[in-house]
Amino acid sequence: MKVAFYPGCVSRGGCPELYPSAVKVAAELGLELEELTDVGCNGAGVLSREVSDPINARTLAKAEQRGLSTVMTICSTCTGVMGQASIRLREDTRYRERINREFLADEGLEYRGTVGVKHLLWILHEDYGVDRLKSAVKRPLRGLKVSPFYGCYIRRPEAIVEGKPQRKQYLERTIEAVGAEIVDFGGKGRCCGFPILSANETNSMAMVAAHTGDAKGRGADCMVTPCPLCHLNLDGGQPKAEAQKGAPIGLPILHLPQLLGLGLGFSPDDLQLRRHIVATQTVAAKVQLLS
Amino acid sequence: MLTTFKVHRYDSELGGKPTFQQYAVDLPEDATVLDGLFKIREELDGTLAFRASCNRGFCGECTLRINRGGRLACMTRVAATRTKEGEVTVEPTRFVRVLKDLVYDVDRQLWQKIKAVEPWLQPAAAEPNSEHVIPDAELRPIRNAMKCYYCGLCDEGCSVIPFDNTFLGPTALTKAYRFVADPRDGARAHRLRAVGEPRGMWDCVHCYEADEHCPRGIEPTARILDLREMAVSAGVKSGTTNPQVARHYDSFARSVRTSGWLDEGRLALETWGIRRALDLLPVAWRALRRGKLPIPYRHPKRHGAERIGKIFEKVERRTP
Repeated sequence: MKVAFYPGCVSRGGCPELYPSAVKVAAELGLELEELTDVGCNGAGVLSREVSDPINARTLAKAEQRGLSTVMTICSTCTGVMGQASIRLREDTRYRERINREFLADEGLEYRGTVGVKHLLWILHEDYGVDRLKSAVKRPLRGLKVSPFYGCYIRRPEAIVEGKPQRKQYLERTIEAVGAEIVDFGGKGRCCGFPILSANETNSMAMVAAHTGDAKGRGADCMVTPCPLCHLNLDGGQPKAEAQKGAPIGLPILHLPQLLGLGLGFSPDDLQLRRHIVATQTVAAKVQLLS
Repeated sequence: MLTTFKVHRYDSELGGKPTFQQYAVDLPEDATVLDGLFKIREELDGTLAFRASCNRGFCGECTLRINRGGRLACMTRVAATRTKEGEVTVEPTRFVRVLKDLVYDVDRQLWQKIKAVEPWLQPAAAEPNSEHVIPDAELRPIRNAMKCYYCGLCDEGCSVIPFDNTFLGPTALTKAYRFVADPRDGARAHRLRAVGEPRGMWDCVHCYEADEHCPRGIEPTARILDLREMAVSAGVKSGTTNPQVARHYDSFARSVRTSGWLDEGRLALETWGIRRALDLLPVAWRALRRGKLPIPYRHPKRHGAERIGKIFEKVERRTP
């Protein structure tokens, strides 16, 4: 299966371990990625739709031009923002035509509304197949206790799941598929606090402490997230959240491709687990015992 | 259908700890939770206090937490919500001051926040002598927001309020949107500055929980984002005491505009300024040690970046 790959800014910025992990895992699974290198940031819900919709129309048009019908992301926020834009552009022909005319025509581009935006997580379950994933697992992560954490924009608003409520269960199914144990907790679908890191850091850190503390308290060895922005806050913000809470937490946060990669037999170093802020040695040790 | 209602009991005049009292209630298959509460009060226990009015999902008065989810009691069927054990737990929404049983202080939880956004029209021009006629197209964007009946379910679902109940919340911010977008209103800039202060619209995490909780299809999260976009267009990107919010927006836009993608290092520095950036040194040191922060720090232009810059230019040219 061949898809257009939109890695997003953070997978090569604040979370430089994510991009190589995703590329390795995709190659191992036989997912063919054609990276879009000449496209812009989707706006991440910060830029207004006036600016971001034309940028996203351009990205989708570039994928369409290459004859591809899916843009794969590795970020819940990219999925949500580009996904919502793709729905608006697909369903509102007049809006799409106006954007084509005003913003894309002078580059010789036209978006015809044929491209869907999917997170790697969705592709695994809807196109690749969870059974195929299970049979690709070389090192079942037996005994590793993992809490899921989705990130808002891969679950809400309702339109984004496109009539597939099972999308809200894919992380749990993935944890099972790699042979690990699910540690469920109520905060898995809530906000990580990242969007208000600059507006209200206290509330943002309180959210980090609540979610990581809850998962840890339920016995999780680590948490897995398909969103690098959640990762920035839950991992990078955890020391500050601990200080604010006045209690240690110490919960390693894995990117989705890292969890997959461990199951596929890659070493913690291959997946650059050392680059995390919260030490991941406990996870690495547990996994290497399985080798 | 015999159902066990576990109902929150508390009397603020007597104090003490809240309890859950159980009532076995026999109800028809199509009964709602509100039917059950009425039956308890009329036949089993006249001391039970709860609020309700229209009994048909039209007034937003009976907002409660039913089996741990925020709902309107009159629109929730017992058969659809009761547990396998045949139980329905009914309690006030979270974070409220309970007055008695299921009755809580709506004034503190909702009305005071709504009052804070000055929920009245402040006309730009002198009152016309006759009716103030507005073309339908101009009112269309706010008509949906005007359907709000203040049930508070969006606030109940809010991601921020559990951590900070001083946050204005989606109900009040939707009310603010309704007036900012009203073509007759003349206090637009004043309103945008007011809701741009801390605890206002920039404290919203735009998690879209409010949209999933709103029974009226108003999509409060989308309205808060509309409000933010109106603020950005009007050049009011933050309040008076949270200038970092405006700096964050400007830095984000500038880096995408000039390089095609986000420069996170520059974003942190420009958002916080050099003094606050010193506080971030421990974070930067940890990032450096873990190889998260490359040395030398580079942020090369993305191929095609000038095309992204052109999009910004065109939008600016179009906006008056």
